[in-house]
Amino acid sequence: MAESPTGNQRLGQPDWWLLAITLLLVATGLLMVFSASGIVADRSQADAYYYFKRQVLFACVGGIALAVVLYTPRAVIYKMLYPALIIVFCLLIITISPLGISVNGAKRWLGVGAFRLQAMEFAKISLVLYLAYFMGTKQEVVKTFDKGVIPPFLMTAMMCFLLLLQPDFGGAVILSLLLFFMCLVGGTRLIYLFISALLAGGAGYLLITKAAYRSRRLLAFRDPFAVADDAGYQLVQGLYALGSGGISGVGLGASKQKLFYLPEAHTDFIVAVLGEETGFIGLSLLFAGILFFFWRGLLIAIRQERLQDRFTAFGILLVVALSMLLNFAVVMSWAPPKGVPMPFLSYGGSSLLTSMICVGLLLNLSRTGKA
Amino acid sequence: MVFLKRRPPRETKRPSREAKRPSRAQTANRTKAEAPRAPVESSVRRLWLVGILFSILFVALWYRAFELQVIMGEDLAAKATRQHTAKETLVGVRGSILDRNGNYLARSVDSSSIWANPQLVQDKATTVAVLSKILEVEPGRVEKLLDPRKRFVWIVRKVNDTVAKQVKEASLPGIGLSPEFERIYPYKTLAGQLLGFVNVDDKGIEGLEKALEETLSASRIRQIIQRDAVGRRLGSTGGDISDLRGDDIRLTIDSQVQFIAEEALAEGVEKYGAKWGGCLVVDVPTGDILAWAQYPFFDPNKPGDFTEAVRKNRLATDALEQGSTIKSFLIASALEEKVVTPTTEIFCENGKWKFGSYTIHDTHSYGALLVSKILHVSSNIGVAKIGFKLGAERYYNYLRRLGFGQVTDLPLAGQSRGILRPASKWHEIDTATASFGQSFSATLAQMAQAYLYLANDGVDKKLRLVINDPASQNQEDGSTDGKPVAEKGKDAERIFSPETMRQVRAMLREVVEEEGGTGKAARIPGIIVGGKTGTAQKADRSGKYGSGRVGSFVGMLPINQPRYLVCVLMDEPTKNQYGGIIAAPVFRDVALRTMAYHGLLPDSDDPLVKAVAEKEQQRRKKAFGKNEAAKTPGAENATAQAETDLQTAAGPVSVEQKPQRRVMRRVVSSKPSATVPDVIGLGVSKAAEVFSAQGVVPEFQGKGGFVVRQTPTPGSPWPENKQGCVLWLEDTSI
Repeated sequence: MAESPTGNQRLGQPDWWLLAITLLLVATGLLMVFSASGIVADRSQADAYYYFKRQVLFACVGGIALAVVLYTPRAVIYKMLYPALIIVFCLLIITISPLGISVNGAKRWLGVGAFRLQAMEFAKISLVLYLAYFMGTKQEVVKTFDKGVIPPFLMTAMMCFLLLLQPDFGGAVILSLLLFFMCLVGGTRLIYLFISALLAGGAGYLLITKAAYRSRRLLAFRDPFAVADDAGYQLVQGLYALGSGGISGVGLGASKQKLFYLPEAHTDFIVAVLGEETGFIGLSLLFAGILFFFWRGLLIAIRQERLQDRFTAFGILLVVALSMLLNFAVVMSWAPPKGVPMPFLSYGGSSLLTSMICVGLLLNLSRTGKA
Repeated sequence: MVFLKRRPPRETKRPSREAKRPSRAQTANRTKAEAPRAPVESSVRRLWLVGILFSILFVALWYRAFELQVIMGEDLAAKATRQHTAKETLVGVRGSILDRNGNYLARSVDSSSIWANPQLVQDKATTVAVLSKILEVEPGRVEKLLDPRKRFVWIVRKVNDTVAKQVKEASLPGIGLSPEFERIYPYKTLAGQLLGFVNVDDKGIEGLEKALEETLSASRIRQIIQRDAVGRRLGSTGGDISDLRGDDIRLTIDSQVQFIAEEALAEGVEKYGAKWGGCLVVDVPTGDILAWAQYPFFDPNKPGDFTEAVRKNRLATDALEQGSTIKSFLIASALEEKVVTPTTEIFCENGKWKFGSYTIHDTHSYGALLVSKILHVSSNIGVAKIGFKLGAERYYNYLRRLGFGQVTDLPLAGQSRGILRPASKWHEIDTATASFGQSFSATLAQMAQAYLYLANDGVDKKLRLVINDPASQNQEDGSTDGKPVAEKGKDAERIFSPETMRQVRAMLREVVEEEGGTGKAARIPGIIVGGKTGTAQKADRSGKYGSGRVGSFVGMLPINQPRYLVCVLMDEPTKNQYGGIIAAPVFRDVALRTMAYHGLLPDSDDPLVKAVAEKEQQRRKKAFGKNEAAKTPGAENATAQAETDLQTAAGPVSVEQKPQRRVMRRVVSSKPSATVPDVIGLGVSKAAEVFSAQGVVPEFQGKGGFVVRQTPTPGSPWPENKQGCVLWLEDTSI
């Protein structure tokens, strides 16, 4: 049990199991992106492989990023915390500036050549790095209000504020959830957490009901069939896809719902296509894989001796796992649709790249800790 | 859970109670280098807590997947299938109507209809603006159609190629095009009332289109197809719609003779201010109706532009008291029954015969007349007296056998039987009036049928309008020239003996050819014509005879062995009323030109006859372009220039033309070209028009609205006989 608080711990092997399940998920994602996007790509880009090719490229870039992060000394990573925060804030501000790209009335993207960057994905990582640093190194003040609660809440609130300006309500909710779980694990007094959760819930409720477009869309999931032509359309089509899959699925590539019925088939609703094509059996395998991923990640966190390491591992795992949970919940109509991609599976460079970076961080952390 | 065995050793997991809430002092005591044990331990516990919470959520979602896919799976799948499939009705092309020479009188061409799914329309203002501009309609009308509660509305049915292309190129969300067929009548008003028209759903609702609906109409099949969300079908197309094609109908009508008849009739009707007029031309040996003309004209391309009175096929639907033209049948019957002979003398009461409370008048007063002369001068008193000799019963039987009082065998919709009461119900006076064609009514088609018997030596020969009707039994091989259609057993049935017919025709000859006859305006130099004039009084609604007249002339030529039978009728002429004056010249014009067109005019020094002969011969060459011109190579180029007026007058639809009621239709004029015109890029109907104006029927290859290639290449000289012109079609906007 080598416990060296200075950080020069003995480095072991990374968790190859985590890497294996990650690669399996990425491979599944590539397959599904190809299946789900082929026809849309053929129609809109005149190239059936358009999205597939781009996703392969993202996966390669993500793989390189994963390796770089894995072998970067941890001290260097931790030192990059503040620069990363500054960069993320800059990105968020640029996003809502006229330089941002507006899609469906929301500015969530930054154009970088032929690619688009979603600052939100990087904000999540930098936020958990900061929170882990805070909780890990300032345990003596965590339970206080002025020094233990205000700073992390303020940091999160500033990011949420910028996200709400986009507006990205879902993103703000996710950052708040990250804060909540980090505080929960980090040792913040439960009474503070409870009160802030109440406050956040109240604010969220106001935000939802204040904007009619939001409440219509957000509440559609409770009975999507009642508004199937309108706000519930995407949800209903997702449910049709899953239902059509049945137990064993309609076969790879044979999804009908992806034929323009199901919006975002290759991005946020890729799990629905997977469910249609491979059925409950395929979806069960996905669940098993994701649970395995989650527990490998959690074990890495648990095994960390240093609090910052542990919280970093946990926070990074949380970034991925929360996305997974929310994505499942949306596709299965248990949560309002909020544009959360399924990590590793959904098409999208920002999502895949940041997910791979997360895995890189987890693998980096997995090299230390108890056996 | 499989992961639990990898749990850290128990002792590390158990955090000490007292360490749970480290006091500030305790914390402060620790050096920074020394990691605080207690928070480490407690955080591990919380990590497990969060881990379990997340696992529960994942398992719950897994159950949700089970619920959706296994428990509700079938139900959801059924709903999905419902939206993946659509019922589709495939409709074939309606059969064409052709004239005897294969010219299309009615055909269906590919067309597009524009529809909308208002729920898929994204930008309504733009959509309305763009559509109303392309379609040239009020924006308000389009906006009204785009009712957001509906999922399907027709914006406009059957638009032309250009409009369809523009709409397609605008690619407005929610706006779509579906292929349909449009019925076009390339010769516009030619035989309009006879052809009738179809409604927007391609169903015949007047004329032959209605009567032959069963043959012409295309089959339709319903099938379930798979489609994607934008409505495109998936997989192979379900059926070959060429199997669904309706059958073509080939008529006995010769569009050239039809044109001659229409032109002459129009001139006559206009000249004498008649309400309407009709003209039938029948090929006597075959019974084929070559022309079925009615004026004012009706253009079936635009049925909405005409009143019901103009649209209806009066030659078959309007029964009128025919007047003196009926006298031929009375005399034939009396001769056949040997009640009289041509030399029997009848006293004609010097023009006024009191009969009971009635008085019968002749236009001139005659004393004793031979039967052969009675027809010549058309004496009412004479035929009335013969009628009494014959008796109502026998006369009635002949009239029935001649086809009066019953519809003809022609495949026409809404035919009138005419009014012919049974002889038992005739009053005494009816025998007299029926003898000169009053008190019973008949259509012009019935008249033609009855006279056809006279022309055919009394043989029961039926009129024919359709050469091949695949739907009906009497399918014939379509021999078009001269010789009678196969001698059938029932042909042996005669109504009159040849001898009687010879005698009657001799009388008909006198009507035209001898001095003092009523029909001398029908004379044609070089041909001996026979015929009968008619000037009937019209009964008004109350049944009383008023000032209205029906002037008519029925003639045949050459009278010794008739080849053509021409019936002309004018209803309520205002400038003159006598059939011999108003109808006989129309007969003469039609007969002369029909003979000339068929090359049957004898050499004659008469300048008029010569001019007509030459003109009509050229028309014939043009009409039979490929066949006839081949026999006289070199001739067609020289003649083509000279006679375009007639050819193009009967030419096909020109888009710009307004429906016309004026007499002549010499409107379309596209210069004859010595070389093949360039139609690449033109819409299919326009291209067809350009070619038909040159007397060429091009062949179409492929499917689509636009010509993309043509052979021979534009600008090259016409191929021999102007045959083998092929236009390749494509939907270029795809």
